[in-house]
Amino acid sequence: MSDAKQIVAQKSAKIAAGAVVCVESEIRGDVTIGARTVVHPKARIIAEAGPIIIGEGNLIEEQALIINSYPENILPDTDGVEPKAMTIGTNNVFEVGCVSQALKIGDNNVIESKADLGRNVILTSGCIIGACCQINTCEVVPENTVVYGSNSMRRTQNEKPQPQTLQLDFLMKILPNYHHVKKTVKGSGALLRN
Amino acid sequence: MASLLQPNRVVYLVRGEKKIRAPLSQLYFCRYCSELRSLECVSHEVDSHYCPSCLENMPSAEAKLKKNRCANCFDCPCCMHTLSTRATNIPAPVPDDPTKTTMKKAYYLACGFCRWTSRDVGMADKSVASGGWQEPENPHAQRINKLIEYYQQLAHREKQERDRKKMARRRQCMPLAFSQHTIHVVEKYGLGTRLQRQRPGAPLSNLAGLSLKEGEDQKEISIEPAQALDEVEPLPEDFYTRPVSLPEVTTLRQRLLQPDFQPAGASQLHPRHKHLLMKRSLRCRKCEHNLSKPEFNPTSIKFKIQLVAVSYIPEVRIMSIPNLRYMKESQVLLTLTNPVENVAHVSLAICEDDDPDGINRTAQILVPNTELVLAGKDAAAEYDELAEPQDFQDDPDVVAFRKSNKIGFFIKVIPQKEEDTDVTVAFKMRHDFRNLAAPIRPSEEGGDAPAAEAIWLTHHVELRLGPLAP
Repeated sequence: MSDAKQIVAQKSAKIAAGAVVCVESEIRGDVTIGARTVVHPKARIIAEAGPIIIGEGNLIEEQALIINSYPENILPDTDGVEPKAMTIGTNNVFEVGCVSQALKIGDNNVIESKADLGRNVILTSGCIIGACCQINTCEVVPENTVVYGSNSMRRTQNEKPQPQTLQLDFLMKILPNYHHVKKTVKGSGALLRN
Repeated sequence: MASLLQPNRVVYLVRGEKKIRAPLSQLYFCRYCSELRSLECVSHEVDSHYCPSCLENMPSAEAKLKKNRCANCFDCPCCMHTLSTRATNIPAPVPDDPTKTTMKKAYYLACGFCRWTSRDVGMADKSVASGGWQEPENPHAQRINKLIEYYQQLAHREKQERDRKKMARRRQCMPLAFSQHTIHVVEKYGLGTRLQRQRPGAPLSNLAGLSLKEGEDQKEISIEPAQALDEVEPLPEDFYTRPVSLPEVTTLRQRLLQPDFQPAGASQLHPRHKHLLMKRSLRCRKCEHNLSKPEFNPTSIKFKIQLVAVSYIPEVRIMSIPNLRYMKESQVLLTLTNPVENVAHVSLAICEDDDPDGINRTAQILVPNTELVLAGKDAAAEYDELAEPQDFQDDPDVVAFRKSNKIGFFIKVIPQKEEDTDVTVAFKMRHDFRNLAAPIRPSEEGGDAPAAEAIWLTHHVELRLGPLAP
């Protein structure tokens, strides 16, 4: 019984108050979204192989894909595979069309359009992954790194990118005028107990 | 199959100083010499300089003063993109009352591509939007300027001695001739030959200029010779053991774009002013007529004179290729487009076996014997629905289709080599050309204005058909 209840609980997304998540976005699995986060329509957040926990103040634009998927050589049915949680910090920006499978993302990062992050990458804070850059190495990207160019060249910048507070405020006002917004769901502790 | 339409599949041979094979879209046609010209057999002249981002025009003298760089625009030292000026609000104390603070605008440069900002190098934000940014000064600038002055003076002196010798030798001859000759000798370290070539008819003023400068140059500029040092700075001790932090090290390209400083660390990469681009005009070397002359305005892409080959010579393009097999005859469909408004007559011929132009051939071809007739290009034809049907008797074995000024025709290809390289064929194309630029002399009989005379031009065309079918 508890197993069935747990599965039911995992299917709902927990959206904190103050977050704007459009109905047209696709959210599957156990996803927690923090306050002041904006999820545009057609964004996809898919938690297959474990939960995804998204912090506050993030901006996830259209056609962005944040996916916690199984590694390629492991089938979903094998036992002994623990679900790993994917954590995303605060004030990150996921621009249009990016794909992120990184398990741990810090704060104040910008992942530009059509960038591709592999599963074994860990982003610290203040990183900017340029447009169309792919990072599929197994490494921790140091703070304030900028990855740019067709060869994914890297350089370090002196300061972290500015948080997009103005943009977030604007979107939180305007998006509900044109899109339906998913209802905020408080923590699912109550559901489990039932 | 769009790869068949690539321009470098069909090349035309240009018989200039060198034999050049280039697609028709990259060639020019001198209608006074009635010959094809490529970029290598024309002389290039600079028309004007302009900045590619702010499109500001600059006369050549001013460009030379500013070392061919724009005054307002900057290049990112990291990715060579154009830098844009961004503004932030910072609280700054009001000058009258130190306790209150007002928001003042501070400007910094930022690159949109690699996110480089001027703050990364330690450049302070400026309070002016433009004009506040200074390039760092070259530490060797003084020495270099002194060296340049010294060598300019030396070159002047050498030229004067040369002139004096020639004047002593040929006193009877016109003084015009020899000073023209000295102009053509390249003056070292001085003005470029272009500026000198523009004054061929003023030799007396040239001499006058020299004599004036004699008075000025009396003061000798002496330079100290460079001293060679025996000892070189030793390398730091941890040079081999210190781990390299790659994001800190500049790439060769970033380093060499600033030859004055060549910084090794990314924190010393300062932005540089943007390089100017130039508009150039082309001139045929034989008849000195202009082949291409763009408009002066940098925002305009039109040309005052545009004698490009595609508007005079019929263009051959490949339409479809069947599977090519070794020593088997296959039919290739080509199209021929007529660019002029008159009816064009084109006849094709194969290259002879001993033709020196046809060394790249790897297949034999059979071209149609008949003369192909192409209708003139009618710009209004696409809007005119009641167009008269063109009444050309076409042999269906030769002509596949006909559409306004375009015709599709077959040639037969027999590949001769079994190697892996592309099958290349060549043929000669002979067409009539009416020179509308030449003045029409009134005919002796009088009467109607005669049409321009048609001359026949022959071009050597090579096609690259692709590999043999496996």
